[in-house]
Formats: sequence, C-alpha cells, structure tokens
Amino acid sequence: MEPLERLYLDALLEDPVEPTGTLRPQLLAGARARRRPAAPTAPWAQPYAGRVAAMDALLASAVDDDWSRVIVEGWTLQELVAHLAAKDGLLAASVGAPVLGPELTATDSATRTAHVQAYESARDPEQTRRDWRAQADALCRHLADLPATVPATLDGLEAPAADHVLARMLETWVHTDDAARTARIRLPHPLPGHIHPVADLCARLLPWTMLLSGLDAAGRSVRVTLTGPGGGDWHVALGVEDAAPPAAPDASITADVVAFCFLLGGRGDPASFPAELTGDHALARDVLATAPALSGP
Amino acid sequence: MEAPYDDRLLHQRVVGGDEAALGEIYDRLSSLIFGLSLRVTRDRVIAEDITQEVFLIFWERPLAYDPGRGTLRAWLATIAHRRAVDHVRAEERRRVSALGPRLFERAPDRLEDTVLAADEAERVRQAVTALPDNLRQVVELAYFGGRTYRQVGEELGVPEGTAKSRIRLALRRLADALAEEEV
Repeated sequence: MEPLERLYLDALLEDPVEPTGTLRPQLLAGARARRRPAAPTAPWAQPYAGRVAAMDALLASAVDDDWSRVIVEGWTLQELVAHLAAKDGLLAASVGAPVLGPELTATDSATRTAHVQAYESARDPEQTRRDWRAQADALCRHLADLPATVPATLDGLEAPAADHVLARMLETWVHTDDAARTARIRLPHPLPGHIHPVADLCARLLPWTMLLSGLDAAGRSVRVTLTGPGGGDWHVALGVEDAAPPAAPDASITADVVAFCFLLGGRGDPASFPAELTGDHALARDVLATAPALSGP
Repeated sequence: MEAPYDDRLLHQRVVGGDEAALGEIYDRLSSLIFGLSLRVTRDRVIAEDITQEVFLIFWERPLAYDPGRGTLRAWLATIAHRRAVDHVRAEERRRVSALGPRLFERAPDRLEDTVLAADEAERVRQAVTALPDNLRQVVELAYFGGRTYRQVGEELGVPEGTAKSRIRLALRRLADALAEEEV
C-alpha cells in the first residue's frame, strides 16, 4: 500500500465513526448464508473440519474450466472431489455415520472412488461439491458425540477414529494444495493448533512406513524435530512393536513441519527433501525415503 | 508490505471456516471501513450496506486475499473504496440520465485498486502540507521515509514516546482537516 494511503487510513482511525450496532449480528447471520462455517464437531476432528471449509472456499471460486482441469492422478477437479467424498464416506460407514452418494457396495477406497466418480460424472460439478461437503459435514456431526478412541477401519487399517480423521485432514489438505497450485492461488497453512496433531500422527506413522517398505528397524529410534508453527519434538521407536524408544536416539531429523507432513502425504521427493540429519545418516535417510509409503491417491 | 502475524492468523481462521474470526475482524476494522465508505458516499445507510458487503465478500472468498501482498486492513479498505466509488458513479449516472439525453458521453474513469481516488489523495497531501512544521516532519519521516517511531525520535533528537505522540497528534489534525473539507 502507498504511504499516502496508509496515512489516510491511520488518520481515519483518529476520527472514528461507528456503524449502527445491529450491523454486526446482521453480518454474522448473513455470513452463514453466504458460506457455510466449519461443521461443529469433536475437538479432535476440528483440524479436519477446518480443511473441509478451506477446500470448500477454494471450490467456491472454481469456474467451468477449473472443474475439468486435471489436478492429480489423472483426475479432474470434479473427480478429485468425488475421490475425497468416497474416502470420507468409507470412514463414515466405519463409525456408523450416514453414507451419502451411490449405494455402498465396496469398502476399499479404490473401488469406492471409482463408484462415486461414476455417480458424480453424471452430475453438475457444483452438485459434486455439495455432495462432498454434505458427506464431510455429516461425518463431522456424527463424530461430535464419539470418543477419540472409538475404533475405525479404512482400507483394512484399524486405528482410533481420531487417527483416521487426522489422515483425512492431511489428504484433504494435500489435495486442496494440489488444486490451489493448479489455480495459482496461494493457500494459507492451517492453524498451528491444527497442524500439530497431524504432525504427531505423521511421526507416529514412521515405524509403519518403514515396515511397509520392507525395512525392519526394531530396537532403533529417531528424533524428529519439526520446525515452524505447529511443530514439535518426537522421539520415535522405529519398531512397530517396540514398547518405548531407547534412551538415546540413533539419528535425528530436523525439518519444516509442513514439508514433513506433505512428505508423508506423498508430496515432494524424499531424495531432495530439505532436512538436517545427525547421527546414523543411513537410518535417517531410510526414514525419509520410506515416509511416503502410506500415501495413496 | 507483508501482513503482520495477527492478520495471517485471522486469515487462516477465516479460510478454515471459523465464524468467530469474522466477528473479531469486524470488531477491529468495521469503524475504519464504515468511515471510509461514509466519506465517499456521504450516506450512512449506503455506507452500512457497503461495510456489510465488504466483510461478507472476505468471508465468502477469503482466498482472494494474499497476506504476502499486504495487510488485511488495506485489502478490505480497497474493496470498500471501490464499492463506494462505484455507488457514487452509479448515482451520478442515474441523475444525469434523469435530466434527459446527454450531450457528452463522459469516458468512464478507470477504476483503480486503491484506497484513495486522485482528488482525495490530493486533499491528503494538502492537509499534510498545512501541518505545523514539527508535525509535518514526523509524518514525512514515518510515512514517506519509512522510519520506525524509534528512528523518527533519533533523527529529531526526541524520545521515542514523544515521536509517537507527535504522530498521533498529526493524525488527529489530518482527520480534522479532512472532515472540515467535507462540510
């Protein structure tokens, strides 16, 4: 902004005029009608509800061309949104929440994605957007009354519902970022308080990403220091059955928290991943190289 | 100029669909946005409509704002100014067409993404020139010289607090001068 404009606004503040008091409640009521706020849900599901609202805000500005543009996996934006709806629906089914869209006949995400994409292909992109949002919000509302520890299964993976929801948060975030890049829109990061639990999930997944890549590092451990808002420190035992990490880590990895979450989400090349390594470099590099193992489409 | 951390956090909350954040932004900036709209339109009802619309636009399309490119205050003020100027022009057109066929078709002015129209900017400049020397000096250093309050104080050989209060006084004088011209 020009200095003169800054000066003008600062001067205006010295001569305050107030709009009538009824304008504020009017505004907030009007806002709900113009854009739906994040769905009310359990505190541990709020990071997910926030990403759904962010994706919806991005989709609000999509025009015809945007919907038919390929974003990732050879999918158009409409197909990508249908994919998110498919996986949200599978988690909904697992915790007893309403499942929207075509009748549920498959519980693996690849087949369900194909079914929902086929169903949505006959519909208008704006309808797809509403269907996806309705599914996500139905899931959020259902989770509001559930404990974080209630077991849920997605693609054969049994884990507490809270972890599955954080994984949904990460996938929704990563795909919103994919779509924002295509549209050349700068997507702000989630709140630090929403990033932190996802970073925690990513750190806890490391023994599994190692194992799924055929590397058994039982008895070994790594310290993960994630920098930036929402970051933190984790000392992770790398064997899935290890009770607790040994006193001293074998290696340490320091990296940006968002870049690290995105690495687990399948974005970025592990070989050129910017991180500071100490201790057993070979082990640290194995951890990074295998980090994307759980990221699907 | 990049947005401060507060702006970024509020923006992140609005993008994440947090209504309470919209309320906080309204509490912080409604007086400014309303004041700006009122100055241009001279109509309280219209200025309130514009104020409401500015915050609604931000809520509905929060990704149109990029904190890397400016403050939230500047973003909302720019939208308000554009809307207010649009309104005034539409009113003028209505008046003119009510008077019958026009002899001259005036070329539409270019709508600039700015908080100040050229004539208003000129009024601000004149008001600065009319300030007493000691006040004009601090404004020039702080706004046009890009100095911090501390630097202004150092250059003028006065404590930072004095520099700050002189700037406040200068801003109040400017506000009065701009308000007088409207009458």
